[in-house]
Amino acid sequence: MTPVLLALLAACLLTAICGGLLRAGVRLPDMGDEVLLGRAAVAHAALMICGFLGTVLGIERAVAVKLRAAFIAPIAAGLGGVCLLLGRESAGAVLELAAALVFVAVNVVVVRRQRAAHTVLLLAAGLCWFAGNALFAAGQDSGAILPWWFAFLVMTIAAERLEMTRLMRRRPAAQLALYGVLAMMAVGAALSAASTLLGGLVYGISLLALAAWLGAFDIARRTLFAPGLSRYMAICLLTGYAWLAIAGAAWMMTAIGWPARDLALHALGLGFIFSMIMGHAPVILPAVARVKLRFGLWFYLPLAALHLSLLVRLGLGLANPQLRAAGALLNAGAIALFAITAVGSAIAWRLTREAH
Amino acid sequence: MTEPGHEPDAPAPPASAFPYEGPEELRQPITDALCRVVDPEVALNIVDVGLVYGVTVADGMVQANVTMTSAACPVTDVIVGDIERELDAVVPADLLVHVELVWFPPWTPDRMSLGAKRFMGW
Repeated sequence: MTPVLLALLAACLLTAICGGLLRAGVRLPDMGDEVLLGRAAVAHAALMICGFLGTVLGIERAVAVKLRAAFIAPIAAGLGGVCLLLGRESAGAVLELAAALVFVAVNVVVVRRQRAAHTVLLLAAGLCWFAGNALFAAGQDSGAILPWWFAFLVMTIAAERLEMTRLMRRRPAAQLALYGVLAMMAVGAALSAASTLLGGLVYGISLLALAAWLGAFDIARRTLFAPGLSRYMAICLLTGYAWLAIAGAAWMMTAIGWPARDLALHALGLGFIFSMIMGHAPVILPAVARVKLRFGLWFYLPLAALHLSLLVRLGLGLANPQLRAAGALLNAGAIALFAITAVGSAIAWRLTREAH
Repeated sequence: MTEPGHEPDAPAPPASAFPYEGPEELRQPITDALCRVVDPEVALNIVDVGLVYGVTVADGMVQANVTMTSAACPVTDVIVGDIERELDAVVPADLLVHVELVWFPPWTPDRMSLGAKRFMGW
């Protein structure tokens, strides 16, 4: 099963990146299949959020519950992405809907095993994915779909961070505040289909409030002072929270008509979510892919590249389309650098083990 | 998970950090081995977090009962593997190592060591 999932992940991620570059105005070298690239550009968000991240989170949850049937979710999510690339939009949308349905069922199993605030929130995140995929299957526009898709990812991260805060002194009011913020996010997503202005404002405020909550209560503020991998993870988290705040503000600006859509979507998708991926890959990859990584300071290189390239794209590029395109290309370079770092670290771990 | 264990400004936990039944000479090596299993996400070892519910050495086997803070944690198998590897390295070769994942009683922050609580700002 692993090679199939890996192939699906690679197909979705690589085409999502190429599609994203085209959308950002980057001229790609002639790669032979312009139709495929065109579809990748159209389906950029679906490929990245459902095809790639839906598959990643589906695998992560399936590994945790240890049920073979749970792997139906990531396989359907990955296959759905491939269908979109092949021009089978309806089949792709139905597969994504099925993936979310199975994913929700898997999360119900998790809640039945451990009824806790964070497991219920993970289930809520799955329901957001399902809502987004239902709108996608119904042919709604991206303004209605994207808030749900991002809520799926953001709520998943919030749930996992809430679980970690149990190690800090419990503040009941803080937990209630988080529920309020996430409920506001769901309301903002639901409103977005009817009113871009109202939905966008509520959604943006919820992102901003979540960034403030994470900045105030996350254990990253403590683990920042630990050495090695723990500090690296904390830096990924805290820099990600800064982008989350920027995304919230930009989401509100977009709602009132300012040209900040790229800033809103990619401060969130790349600045926040890819920071989380870079931070967690050294601990998640050994769990889901049975590949151990040797941590070293070199992990900071792709992280710095990601944040600096985002400053170029979303900061300098705000008023200059060429810098925006260059920044997008550098974003892709940062992701590639991270992939090289991960592969190199896996090789380094094997060499160290053999040396022992 | 692949780093050497580190434990920021927390004192070495006492050997009585979890219930232990077995030969006295293995108590400290087993405690030290478990303290080398670190969850990098929280920068603390599993003994300090209070994930070790008990260790029994009897009938040619070392059994460690451990829990996790979350049932949705995909890293569980990696942590269990690390525990097995660390225990294997310190107990006599004729002893089998078995790690049992238990969910009852559920983990609570009361199980954290004083050092861990101090690190987390309690």
